[in-house]
This record gives sequence, structure tokens and C-alpha cells, in this order.
Amino acid sequence: MPSSRILALLLLLAGVLVLPLIFPDPFFVRIVTEAFMWIGLAITWDVMAGYTGYLNFGHGAFFGLGAYATAILMVRAGWPFLLTLPVAGAFAGVAAVIAGVPTLRLKGAYFAIATWAVALAVQQLALVLEITGGPDGMRLPPFLHPQFFFYLMLGVTAGTFLLLWFLLERAPFGLKLKAIREDESGAMALGINPTKVKVQAFTLSAVPAGVLGGVYAYWITFIDPASVLADIITDQAMVMAVFGGLGTLVGPVIGAVLIFAFKTYFWAYLSDYQVLYLVILGGVIALSIVFIPDGLWGTLTGYARGRQALKKGVETGLSLNGSAKIEKKGGGENG
Amino acid sequence: MLLLLPQAVLDGLLIGGVYITIAIGFSLAYGVMHVIDFAVGEWIMLGAFLGYYLNHWTHVEPLALLPLIFLVFAAIGFAFQPVIHRVLSGKKGNPLIMALAFTFGLAIMFKGLGLTFFGFFSRSIPSALSAGSFSVAQGSFFMTVPVIRFAGLLYALGITLLLHYLLKKTDFGLAVRALAQNKEAAGLMGINAKRTSSYVYGIYVGISAMSGVLIGCIFSISAQMGSNYTVFCFFIVVLAGMGYLWGVPWASFLLGLVQSFFLIYLNPSYTLLAVFAILYVVLLISPKGLFGKGV
Repeated sequence: MPSSRILALLLLLAGVLVLPLIFPDPFFVRIVTEAFMWIGLAITWDVMAGYTGYLNFGHGAFFGLGAYATAILMVRAGWPFLLTLPVAGAFAGVAAVIAGVPTLRLKGAYFAIATWAVALAVQQLALVLEITGGPDGMRLPPFLHPQFFFYLMLGVTAGTFLLLWFLLERAPFGLKLKAIREDESGAMALGINPTKVKVQAFTLSAVPAGVLGGVYAYWITFIDPASVLADIITDQAMVMAVFGGLGTLVGPVIGAVLIFAFKTYFWAYLSDYQVLYLVILGGVIALSIVFIPDGLWGTLTGYARGRQALKKGVETGLSLNGSAKIEKKGGGENG
Repeated sequence: MLLLLPQAVLDGLLIGGVYITIAIGFSLAYGVMHVIDFAVGEWIMLGAFLGYYLNHWTHVEPLALLPLIFLVFAAIGFAFQPVIHRVLSGKKGNPLIMALAFTFGLAIMFKGLGLTFFGFFSRSIPSALSAGSFSVAQGSFFMTVPVIRFAGLLYALGITLLLHYLLKKTDFGLAVRALAQNKEAAGLMGINAKRTSSYVYGIYVGISAMSGVLIGCIFSISAQMGSNYTVFCFFIVVLAGMGYLWGVPWASFLLGLVQSFFLIYLNPSYTLLAVFAILYVVLLISPKGLFGKGV
């Protein structure tokens, strides 16, 4: 990473850190806190979809499991809040392993179906179990300190981002995932155990979602199946990642910020037309897949890269197509 | 307890009949295009509402409207398939994954549209057959057979046989089967893959829409019903083996039996959980379905 980019990132981080000091309006702090949460959910969803090539339609279940883990431990067992967060993450991680082991051996379609089914099963469980309070939900002890949650959510999301950036962009793990995405049998031939790596990636995407859920539960102080286990959580994380750009870490962040800003305005000014939001959400997914399959960020960087390649090609007097044709011809003669 | 057993089995089989019509078109479409259509439940919902409004305006018996609804939705599906084909033949990323995400987006959109236009209320489609039932009684053995459900079962078996005939005895069916086996080789044999896929998708959407009307006559319909039936559909095709058409009736009957047994003997609120548990175990032990013939 060039030093100018690191500098820009540090400046951005510093700007975000002092944000609640400059704009102490609780409503504003609250909106930005929730934006952090969605960034975290979108980038973790992208670990499976963008990097590994497996669509997880039950990401919201991990978020909800984390939220319920924190709520149950705090309300029923009297644990202090911060101790419940690791448990919330672990809970989501274990659920990911249980759901992932049978389905990640199979083609992507089975995984997609199974994750969706798991999400619905968790929803059903939360509705019928006694410990979760059933449809009445659970009320947590209130802790009204917006700044605390702002920094906590920022910390969890930024930590997740750094961890994912290191593992996916700097460590061999990311290469393994991309190898599986591009060609699973080829990856196997290189000595990668696809199922194991995929389960690891799935767990990696589930644990932060669980922690975010735990923070959310304590922040909002009331959870029920209709809020923390709703389908809309997965739908929204998905549209953010797809719209921003799959297979990158920056794309989902941009997508999350844009979609969440849109959602906030939409609900503030057009709250009478809430179901219309679903139409827009689904429309954005479908249209961006048809017209910008690389997402906003992928399309922009692809465009920039294309311009660069074109420039280079003009300078050396060679076009990419020309050189490819020559290679093909050579192969034919040998055969 | 035992007294209710014949009734429970019969109910299960009758409900299973409805599920056949939900899943058989879906299984066909998956077998040919290898795309999971997340919007299957929404096609059912849209078909159900078209049936509801047509019946509301014209007072024609809803079951007599089925061919019309099939034609309307087959045309929609036929016209719509090129978009999916475009996503599937894209060079960017993994096209199958993109197509899956695409249909998921569609499902959300259709659900939103349904809620916008039809509201949150649930309603049912009045059919002349709804009220009638005949009973079989002999000593302590008794069953009540609702006419409309029996008609649904007959209709489901009819559709299955019709599809069987279409796939096994006609040139079109041969083309479809060739396409399902190997797209490139089928293309080399002169089969127009694009056109045939469009027909298959049209047939699938049409069948799904018709089963929506049937559901409206037997149970009730609402704009949110889609995802529920998508789950059942997935359950059936995974159990049957994805793309293995002839496993669908058996898997449907199994789902129907599970449902009716939970309804009569156990707690109905655990039905969905039991369904998921079965799905999980099947995926764990025999991922290619009960018959091991999935793709």
C-alpha cells in the first residue's frame, strides 16, 4: 500500500474518531453508529460471496444469534456486557461450523439453500423457545451512552476490516479462497482442502456478525425475532456488497454507506411507503447484477485500470488482443 | 390416537399433491438451467393474485381459469428468461452465483410489489368445490376427503404425467433432456439452447403460477406467502435430488406427511423446525437426495 493511501486512511480514521465531538447531536451519532454496523455486516458477507464464491442467504441469523447470546447472558445469567461479546461471536462461529460442514462440501446452490433454511430455522427457534422470550422478545438493561456505542461499533467494524484486510489481501488465506472461487478442482490439485478452507472462511464471516449483533442488542436494549432475525438484515447486507462491488473490501464499505444513507433518508421522508423500500432494494440487486456486475467500486477501478492498460498499449504499439492472437497461432503450429 | 391415523396419512398425501405442483416446474428449470430461482414463491404469489382478481371480476370458477393463468405466466417467463440468460452468460465473476443473487433480488422486489398492490391481508379464492367433501367410514375406520384437495391431487398427478409425456415422448423433451445433460453438445446437435431454456422457464413459471391459484382455493393467499413456499420448494427438490424430476412426487408426499403428522399428533409450531432437521440430515448423509440422483 503506498504511503499516500495509508495517510489518507489515517486521516479518514481520525476524522471519524472526532466526529461525535464535532457533531454531538445524538440522532446523528446514532445514524453513524448504525452505518458502522452495516459496514461490518456487508464486508463479512462479502468474505463468502465475493472472495469464496458462495452466497450466504442467512447472514442475518449470525447477527441475531449474537444478539440473543448477549441478551440471554446479560438478562438470565447477569453477565457483564463486555464479557458476553466473545461468547456472542463464538456462538455465531459454532453455528457457522455446524451449518457449513455438511453444505460446503456441495455446490454453491446447496449452500445457498441451506443458509437460507438455517436463518428461517433460527427464526422459528427464537419464536418457540422460552429462554428467548418467544415473540415477545427480550428487554436488556438500558445503558444510554451513545458515544460508548459509537466507539465500540467503530472498534468492532474497524477491527474486522483490518483482520479481513490482512487475511484476505495480505495472507495466503485470501489466495486460497480466490483459488477455490475460480476453480475448485484446480485448488484441490494445488493441495488446498476446499471444504476446510471454506468452513474457515464461513466462520470468519460469522464471528464478527455475531459480535456486531451483541453490541446491537445492548445498544437498542430490546430485541425480538422480528427485529434481529428479520430477512431484511441479510437482504440489506447483500445489496450493499453487490452494489458496492463483490470481491473487494472497499466496495462493500462504499455500498453500505450509500445504501444506508439512502435508507435513512427514505425512512425519514417516505415512511408511508415502507414496502416500496423492498422494491427498491430488490431492484438495486437485480439491476446492478445485470448492468454493473463488478459493483460501483469494481467498475470504477476496472475503468481506471482499463485506461491505464490502453495508454500502455498505445505507447508500446501493441494491443492486448493482438498479442493474444499471436500466442494462439503459435500454439496451433506446435500441435 | 390410532383412529386418526388414516385421516393423517390421507391429509398428508393430499397436501403433498399441492406441493408436487409447486416443486415440479422448479425442479425442471433447475435441471436445465442450473439456476436456483429464489423467486419461485413469488411466482406462486403473483399467480395466486391474478387468479384471485380474475375470479373477483368475472366470477368464473377459479379452477377453470388455470389454463389462462398458465398461458399468461408462461408468456411472462418466456419473455423474462433472456435477462437471466444474459446474467448466466456474463463473463464477470461466477455467473451461477450472479444468477442466484439476481433471482434473490427479484424475489425481494416481487414481494415488495405484492405488498404495495395487494396489501398485508390474507384472502382466499372461492371455488365451487371448496365446500364439498365425501367421507369413507367402515367401523372405526373413517376418513373425510375434501373434494377440492382431492381435485388438487388429481391435478398434480395430471401435471406430472403431462410433463413425463412431454419430456420422454416429444422432440422438444429430447432437446430439453439433451440440454440438461450437456449444453455444448446439445448446441452442436442443432438445439437452440436459448430458445429451449426460454420455453422451459416459461413452463416452470406457468406451472408455479397455477399452483398459486390451487393454494388460494385450498388454503389462503397473501403477499408474504412467497418465502414460505420457496422453503417448501427447496425442501422438496433437495430431498428429491436437485434436478431429478421423478423424485419430486415422493419428496412432496413426505413433506405433506410430516406436516399432517405434526398438525395432528405433535405441536404444529415445530413443523418447520422438523422440516429443517430432515433437510439437514439428508444433506449430511445423502447430499444428492433420497435417491442419490441429484446433480
